[in-house]
Amino acid sequence: MRRLTRRQRVSAIALTVLALCFITLDLGGGSLAGAHDGVRGSLGSLYRGTDTLLGPMRRFVQGVPHAATNESKIRALQQRNAALQATIAQEQADRSTSKELAALKLGSGALGKKVLPARVIAFGPGQGFDWTVTLDVGTASGVKLGMTVTDGHGVVGRVVHADRGTSLVLLAVDPGSGVGARNSRTAALGVATGAGTDGFTFVPLDPHTTIHVGDTINTGPSDGSSYVAGLAVGTVRSVRTSADGTIKATLRPAVAPDTLDLVGVILSGGEAVGTRAPVGTDNSLAAGGSR
Amino acid sequence: MTLARVAAGMAALLTSLAVQAGVVSVVTLPVPVSLPAVLVAAVALSDGAGTGMAYGFAAGLITDLGSTHPAGVLALCWMAVGLICGLAADRHSVRRDALLAAVICALGAAAATVVLAVLGRSGASFGDAVRYLVPTLIGDAVLALVLVPVVRVFLRSDALAAPRPPAVLLGVDS
Repeated sequence: MRRLTRRQRVSAIALTVLALCFITLDLGGGSLAGAHDGVRGSLGSLYRGTDTLLGPMRRFVQGVPHAATNESKIRALQQRNAALQATIAQEQADRSTSKELAALKLGSGALGKKVLPARVIAFGPGQGFDWTVTLDVGTASGVKLGMTVTDGHGVVGRVVHADRGTSLVLLAVDPGSGVGARNSRTAALGVATGAGTDGFTFVPLDPHTTIHVGDTINTGPSDGSSYVAGLAVGTVRSVRTSADGTIKATLRPAVAPDTLDLVGVILSGGEAVGTRAPVGTDNSLAAGGSR
Repeated sequence: MTLARVAAGMAALLTSLAVQAGVVSVVTLPVPVSLPAVLVAAVALSDGAGTGMAYGFAAGLITDLGSTHPAGVLALCWMAVGLICGLAADRHSVRRDALLAAVICALGAAAATVVLAVLGRSGASFGDAVRYLVPTLIGDAVLALVLVPVVRVFLRSDALAAPRPPAVLLGVDS
């Protein structure tokens, strides 16, 4: 084991103090908000720029768990000629995107709000404890802070940063975030807290209410909540009642955080101005298919 | 420090952040395997504690500012990763150095999780630090086995080798 020189020791102490200053400043308020915005914007542009190369790799990796189910289909395709394979692959990709867009359209119709299609171009940078994704749409397309993101059926998260071309979304399953939610069977209100890949933990406000396995929990009500009401949060997987009578239910998430690809930003409030037209109740699907 | 080394360091960091966000995070979610941290360790193993410390701090701060957690956490942890890797480097066996990088990076990730749990941010918990330690070690080891030899070859090339004092070049200090 080598030893630090005197100069290196001084540098190490100075950098440690500097890091502690950064932590204090950031915890204390918005002193570093501008720096956060600048770097997030730059990294967003970087992710957007490299998505052409990394996107297909990511989608391949996301599809690996389902590879066995596609094996026979792949074998059949291999027997055909190269041109036909290319055509089929393209058609499949189009169908998949069309299906996802249709789900977004369906969701926007049910909610009565416009939904802006977006593609996930990056997952939380640096470390796994950042439950965020970066989308390829930004303020130029009408995205604003706090807007809810959906996959057309369930809640994905909400926008915590947006620049011209990209936006950062904090996932609803983030262990630090809570969602105001309602049991669709009993209409009982409660709070669903993110639990990472385990989904959510739902605690009803009324301790006397009943929760059954299989109950669907939706977001809502909208007043005072960060999320648009009526989106699926998850399905009750297990219910536990503690000694003091508190009910705690674990939810299977409606949206799997590790398979996100095409999502929609719910444009609640204001018209979207930009190059990509939103999919709304009064817009055709083709209007959103400019990607 | 030469302009070529700074440019190469910045390019490597941005590439690692893009690959981390685009591919590695998808594969390893929710385990905090980190390509940029392994890069910091690999640089420190080749160039020593001083370079590792500075590079770790810079890389951590950029990653912090691009994240939702408080800035300074990863800067502090990755600076420690660079420092320890630089001091403990073997520099003869690539496999031993890769294992060292993996162990230090996994401990660095656990330390970052603990700091975030203490700060009460990002939903990190002490349980996560323990639960994900071994999976992080395995993931980091896989990355380190690839990255450490590559970084070593680059940093020993004529274009990117660290400038040495004249006394060393003349063999006076040996």
